[in-house]
Amino acid sequence: MAAEERREKQAVRELLGAGALSERITEGCNGEWYLNVSEPEFLPLVTSLAARECALIGLFCTEHFSPGAPFSLLYVFEKKGILLVVVLDTAQSAPSIARLLPSACWPERECRDGFGIAFLGSFDERRLLLHETYPDDYHPLKKSIGNVPPTMKSSVEPSGEYPFRGVLGDGVYQIPVGPVHAGIIEPGHFRFSVIGEKIFNLEVRMFYKHRGVEKLAEGRLPVDVVRIAEAVSGDESVANTVAFCIAVEKIAGTHVPERAWALRTILMELERIGSHLGDQAGMLVDVAFPLGASQFAVIREEVFRMNVILTDSRFLRSMVVPGGISRDIRIEDLEALRQFVRQVRKRYRTGLKIVLSTASVIDRFSPTGVVRRSILRPLNITGPAARASGGNGDVRIDHPYGIYSQNPPSVRTLHDGDVLSRFTVRAAEILDSLDLIERLLNCLPEESVRVVFEAKDGYALSLVESARGQSLCWIWIRNGVVERYKVRTASYCNWLALEHAVQGEIVPDFPVINKSLNLSYAGTDL
Amino acid sequence: MVNVLSCLLKRKVTADVLARDDEIEALGQEIRREVDAVFGGSLAIRELDTGSDNAAEIEINNLTNPHYDVERFGITFVASPRHADVLLVTGAVTHNMAAAAKKTYDAMPSPKFVVAVGDDACTGGIFAGSYAVLGGAEKIVPVDLKIPGNPPAPKEILAGLLALMRQAGKNR
Repeated sequence: MAAEERREKQAVRELLGAGALSERITEGCNGEWYLNVSEPEFLPLVTSLAARECALIGLFCTEHFSPGAPFSLLYVFEKKGILLVVVLDTAQSAPSIARLLPSACWPERECRDGFGIAFLGSFDERRLLLHETYPDDYHPLKKSIGNVPPTMKSSVEPSGEYPFRGVLGDGVYQIPVGPVHAGIIEPGHFRFSVIGEKIFNLEVRMFYKHRGVEKLAEGRLPVDVVRIAEAVSGDESVANTVAFCIAVEKIAGTHVPERAWALRTILMELERIGSHLGDQAGMLVDVAFPLGASQFAVIREEVFRMNVILTDSRFLRSMVVPGGISRDIRIEDLEALRQFVRQVRKRYRTGLKIVLSTASVIDRFSPTGVVRRSILRPLNITGPAARASGGNGDVRIDHPYGIYSQNPPSVRTLHDGDVLSRFTVRAAEILDSLDLIERLLNCLPEESVRVVFEAKDGYALSLVESARGQSLCWIWIRNGVVERYKVRTASYCNWLALEHAVQGEIVPDFPVINKSLNLSYAGTDL
Repeated sequence: MVNVLSCLLKRKVTADVLARDDEIEALGQEIRREVDAVFGGSLAIRELDTGSDNAAEIEINNLTNPHYDVERFGITFVASPRHADVLLVTGAVTHNMAAAAKKTYDAMPSPKFVVAVGDDACTGGIFAGSYAVLGGAEKIVPVDLKIPGNPPAPKEILAGLLALMRQAGKNR
């Protein structure tokens, strides 16, 4: 263990280059490294990290973190196996790095809305979380602002409406869609600029569902935040709760029993299967192939019913808690799961064969909605969407948690980056998850599933691979309660992939491209 | 070419989907009767998400999967509020959705009904009091029926719709 730590420290030092900076790194609770920098050091460091192919996977603000500084900005950089958190203390402003690292664009706007931080040289000063009716100069994530509704503006002048990026010119017209869509989907606004039938530009406007998840967690005991973590995004309840629990457990030094981890892993993989199945069924509905869609929708409903047998919840809720899981699963229910996995695998393969041998489906799926590999790192595109475009990142392998280091999944990488690739990557992952569940069921350790959890003060960063990709969570506990809860789900990053994937496509292909990225609005808007 | 030809000539694939559930069938028959008696044969529903965690949408969507297939019972999900009898509201109402939600309700023809689906839509749930939400659906539209749950299962949503129709039938 100590040798591994030294090796990791060496790797971080190499990343930072020779000099005083690399001497100042300190290790966090969960293997992440922290580095406090002054403002003059900041831009050269970020430039060099960008040049060394680090991805900026998170950027958020917190108050009174460093002694004497009102605000601290935490920039999370990732490179295979290494997590470096650069901490920049500030009174009220910081240089914008969104031109250098485009994945900083939304988070900078978020920090501006939440805390009133000014980002100097930023190219996008529009509000993000807070729409037009919120009062001016209102920054709800500041500690001095209570968690109560502000006095909203009763009406908005046309000049105060959100300025979409205008794409003008002969023959370019705009199609505004949403926030209320035609189907049973979550709200968001899509502004298409179209020439003829081809999409020239798409701008996505989100945060209609901004419901104040992060602030809601503040001042609560960690055990009480589980319910909030589950509400980040319904179909990622387990993943986001596990991310939260890992962070608080690492801070407290809690050793979660192996059996609890095995069961948590089974739940996480079941959630992945359910999410991928729903997504695949949706993609097939969008290309008008109900035969295939029904096959997958039927299996998905059965997965939900299996979830009830195992956990009394169709969304696997109230199971994952700090210290393990809330209750063991009965042996006969685990046996039922084993049988279920076997028969589902067979039926899933049959369904898959029908779909992939249907010319009309392939014709619509390929080569539609290509996400180019070159945007993966700049925008931190993650999960199956990235793996379908030549990416090979997977938190379960790059930063293994729980028992994934003993049970690493195979990385399913395809290179076309189109809807078909995303469909196929998910298909492979469903089969892998079924295999993993079966393997775990065969060697479940016999022990308790929960240890006493006692919260301790501190902070930690955790990453989890949800069905949609890398989910980031940063927790700071102070005086036994949550001081700051930062969540950044995979969807938050991948929305920008959608803007790129639809360029040059026709408007009628938008639904299937959107579905193939399977984005959660709730998980983005928080 | 060969691929196209083989697709044209090969046996067409169809498959039986074994998905029947007696409880749902019985509930469905009752719904069918009420839809015929109270709503003239079809109940048109518009779903409106005002800030849910997406679990309730998933369950409403599930009503159309082969296990439930509620179109059999006369329930349809429509794309526009102008075609809807019932508005299913999910999630606490966020400030950012308030205007759009009100417009959606106003666009529905009368008589119209509103059903709050899930704890958050019923009362604001865990988000009640947050700086970013107004509260439950009743803060912006009159609510006729509340279906609690985190989220309610498809069966519970169906039972709720049945209760709504019975209530509407009595009040006629």
